[in-house]
Amino acid sequence: MKSSSLARMEAVGRRSRSDLLKHLCLIALLGVSLFPFYMMIQVSLKNNTMFLENPWSFAAPGSWQWDNYVYAIKLVLPYIINSLVVSIGATIACLTISISGAYFFARYQMPFSRILWSAFLVLMLMPTVANIVPLFSVLQSLHLLNTLWALVLLGASSGLVLTIYVLRNFIEEIPKDLFEAAEMDGASHLHQIIHVVIPMSKSIIGTLAILTFLHAWNDFLMPLIVLRDPHLFTLGVGLIYLDGEYVKDWGRIMASFLVASLPLIVIFLFSMKLFIRGLGAGAVKG
Amino acid sequence: MATSSSIKKLRSEWRLYFFVLPAVVLIGTFCYFPAASAIYHSFFRWGGGDAKEFIGLANFRRAAGDIVFWESFIVIAILVTSNVIKLIPSVFMAVLIHRLKSERWQYWYRVGVVLPMIVPGLVTLFIWKFFFDPGQGALNRFLDLTGLKALLVSLDEFFHWGIFHAGLPIAWLGEPSLIIPSLIIWGFPWIGSVGVLIYLAGLQSIGNEVYEAAELDGATSWQTFRFMELPLIMTQIRLSLVMLIISTLQGYGLQFLLLGPEGGPGGRGMVPGLWMFNKAFFAGEFGYACALGIFLFLFILALTFLNQRYVRVEK
Repeated sequence: MKSSSLARMEAVGRRSRSDLLKHLCLIALLGVSLFPFYMMIQVSLKNNTMFLENPWSFAAPGSWQWDNYVYAIKLVLPYIINSLVVSIGATIACLTISISGAYFFARYQMPFSRILWSAFLVLMLMPTVANIVPLFSVLQSLHLLNTLWALVLLGASSGLVLTIYVLRNFIEEIPKDLFEAAEMDGASHLHQIIHVVIPMSKSIIGTLAILTFLHAWNDFLMPLIVLRDPHLFTLGVGLIYLDGEYVKDWGRIMASFLVASLPLIVIFLFSMKLFIRGLGAGAVKG
Repeated sequence: MATSSSIKKLRSEWRLYFFVLPAVVLIGTFCYFPAASAIYHSFFRWGGGDAKEFIGLANFRRAAGDIVFWESFIVIAILVTSNVIKLIPSVFMAVLIHRLKSERWQYWYRVGVVLPMIVPGLVTLFIWKFFFDPGQGALNRFLDLTGLKALLVSLDEFFHWGIFHAGLPIAWLGEPSLIIPSLIIWGFPWIGSVGVLIYLAGLQSIGNEVYEAAELDGATSWQTFRFMELPLIMTQIRLSLVMLIISTLQGYGLQFLLLGPEGGPGGRGMVPGLWMFNKAFFAGEFGYACALGIFLFLFILALTFLNQRYVRVEK
């Protein structure tokens, strides 16, 4: 008994000593992968001459070029607002539609629901790459080209099948008694969704919302095709045009990149736990 | 097959169909209809407007003989293969984090892993484009500072590549034979936030005491990895490999942003999706682009079925 616990203590001691090497490895890996963001931050505070003189480290705090940020905010803020409209709109639409859709599939075996379900699932296997060209003409005939509506609808529909799939599994695991009790009280389907489904699957809804939001936020190919008016540009398109400018003022560009990242940083701060735990758990489940 | 009970349900619960209706409408309009329309229009010469001319299989014949298109599959094959190597750092990182004894540290490293996700992917890509800049980019400056540039130049002189020259900056995105390497180097060390989190979730079932037992038995850390950790996360590794491969096959945003619609000098970075995109939105040949899209679609579909058959992902 005693000798085994002694051996264990020794083993534990060895393990924490060798943890030092692990920390070094991890810090090196993280350091290299976060290096681009370090560069973004420190270059954003310089003008081109300062950057050419000293590309690697922060400039002296007194000489930080805050006008880069004035320029960046003026440039990027309208794009951010457009992107927020699109991403929030797409997330709300996607989740509302998929919660009610998943409820349909999970609660009852209605006639045709099985056929419909397989028609949905087939889409998960099908590559979407061929769609982009005809999608353009669909939007054209719906008179949605050059509108943010188009992006809201596309953002909502692109992740819809997967979201419904995940949510259906969750709703099916909710104890049937809860629904029956609600039904006894005369709750309609809508009431059951609001008072049973949503409270019971809050965490997965949160995770799916974040994923849908990120997807819409990061998309730039559809906005590039759909939008023409500069005042409608979302972040992606705006940054592409910024990158295309001939004379590069790196400080201003990096400041714009940083400002463009701010909304996600704020969202991340509020949902960090959900993000780190939920993403891992959701991945195991789905 | 309408049994009596399901007819009864239909009568009493017909309102339920309204719950699924929005999903059906949205998926019908933006997923099914475009797919059908792509097949239909692949038989036409079509510029995207109202005017179109039926030309039968001509688009497909042209696609079958399109050298740029078929060569782009070689590029994509190289990029897909490189994904296997790109997975290694994420697995390594997840195992290291999991082996740490302190849970607090584990948490903070997770935060560090997730951090890159809060910067839009586009921004990360543009920062890398800035690194690749020949004159002012960080990559060339780094190679100059560390003397690796001299090494590359002497290797070049030895093997007669004709790519690296002393005194000339390396044109990462301008020199045709460096384009594919640049497309692979991009994002080094390729830590995938979601990947690391998924592997960590898979490793969860190994507790501290298992490591202690393994250590008491004299297992080396490689053996611990090979026989304990790797089998546990094999499913997740396969899953993320499959997802990476599918997104690489379909993707062209990366090539479009780094190299432009022509796939860079000499078209060396041209991938099938980009060629389709180029034909539709730069050349205005929508019908032909639809035919290219269908070839690509069939190719990916075949791979998906192979994957379903041979690389089963257990639930």
